[in-house]
Amino acid sequence: MSDKQELGTLLRDALPQYRAPQSIHDWARAQARSQEAPSTHGRLVKRATEASAPRFLAYAAGLLIAAALGWTADATYRTRRESAAGQDALVAELVDNHVRSLIGEHLVDIRSTDQHTVKPWFAGKTDFAPRVVDLTSTGFPLLGARVDYVHGRTVATLVYGRRRHTVNVFIWPAAKSDTESESRRYNGYAILHWVDGGLSYWAVTDAALADLDTFRKLYESGS
Amino acid sequence: MHNAHSTSDSRFERVVLPHLDSAYTLARYLVGDPSEADDVLQEAILRAIQYFHTLRRDADARAWLLTIVRRECYTVWGHRGTRMNTVSLDVGAEDENSRVELADPGDSPETLAERNLVRERIIDAVDLLPGGLREAIVLRELQQFSYEEIATITGAPIGTVMSRISRARARLAESLRDLVDYGEIS
Repeated sequence: MSDKQELGTLLRDALPQYRAPQSIHDWARAQARSQEAPSTHGRLVKRATEASAPRFLAYAAGLLIAAALGWTADATYRTRRESAAGQDALVAELVDNHVRSLIGEHLVDIRSTDQHTVKPWFAGKTDFAPRVVDLTSTGFPLLGARVDYVHGRTVATLVYGRRRHTVNVFIWPAAKSDTESESRRYNGYAILHWVDGGLSYWAVTDAALADLDTFRKLYESGS
Repeated sequence: MHNAHSTSDSRFERVVLPHLDSAYTLARYLVGDPSEADDVLQEAILRAIQYFHTLRRDADARAWLLTIVRRECYTVWGHRGTRMNTVSLDVGAEDENSRVELADPGDSPETLAERNLVRERIIDAVDLLPGGLREAIVLRELQQFSYEEIATITGAPIGTVMSRISRARARLAESLRDLVDYGEIS
């Protein structure tokens, strides 16, 4: 290395060019294909990078939601998301619930891979009818369902498998102000929220956030 | 299960996805941490899909994508204070995503060791540059964008870009003066 080189050559020789992980390449391709059509995919709200404080955008979105909630006090099924802090508390509660479902015996109240068994099971247990879709053929086998009590109300929980992971999907009627999609991470868990057909969905998993994006698309296009 | 929207080869895939590695490289140099770079890249892709209609010419796709990546990086910093100046490039040989081939089969162990030392020095020198200068030099020397493209990507006037690149080069030439051929410094 005694030969001196022009700076640009020196830098190009020494500095690494990186290759994005294959999983992101694959994920990006899937995203591109499924999003070519006008879809209902909501605006992406910034997610918290790690378990640290939520990033500014998520916080600001929370405040906006809080402001909106202030004058839609008539929402019958409104969740208790009065503030950004309330939103964080909800996420914490959902993740707690997810973790408990994994370490305890109470993963499902009804163990069934048959959507036609699971859907009627909710009748009488919840005051709304969640859509139950079996996504076994696309990598999310339906494992069953249960009823949970989250943030002061009864919610329907669908349980799906994802490779060796579990996806809990918490569902309840959306408040009028609850329209924004949101994704974030909390204590190493990925959380994706969206609203569709008047229902508020919160998917929680220990798999990747990208898996939840995929799940949502499959769920929404499934029948 | 059917997904009627699937097309075998969308325009986005054809035009934008070939630049994923380039986008990832910029993210790695700007945020440092690999998993954070993963996050940045994924956010950037979602945004790129969302705002794909704003890409006017296919030929601009790489600069356009990197503009989005850079903005995502700044969003990360926005929540982390001035992390940009304390970034660690973490470019060890153990990094499976690094494309640089360290070992030349013809090298003796001594040559190899020396080469690695020199390389580490160069990486450290870039690492120590202030964020704005590091960004400019990486875009120019490593990714070989034109001054105009860098101005677009960074949202800075071209005069500022030229000044940043020139200052970055001067600093690097100083810290690496035993390696750099002075005759070529501009």
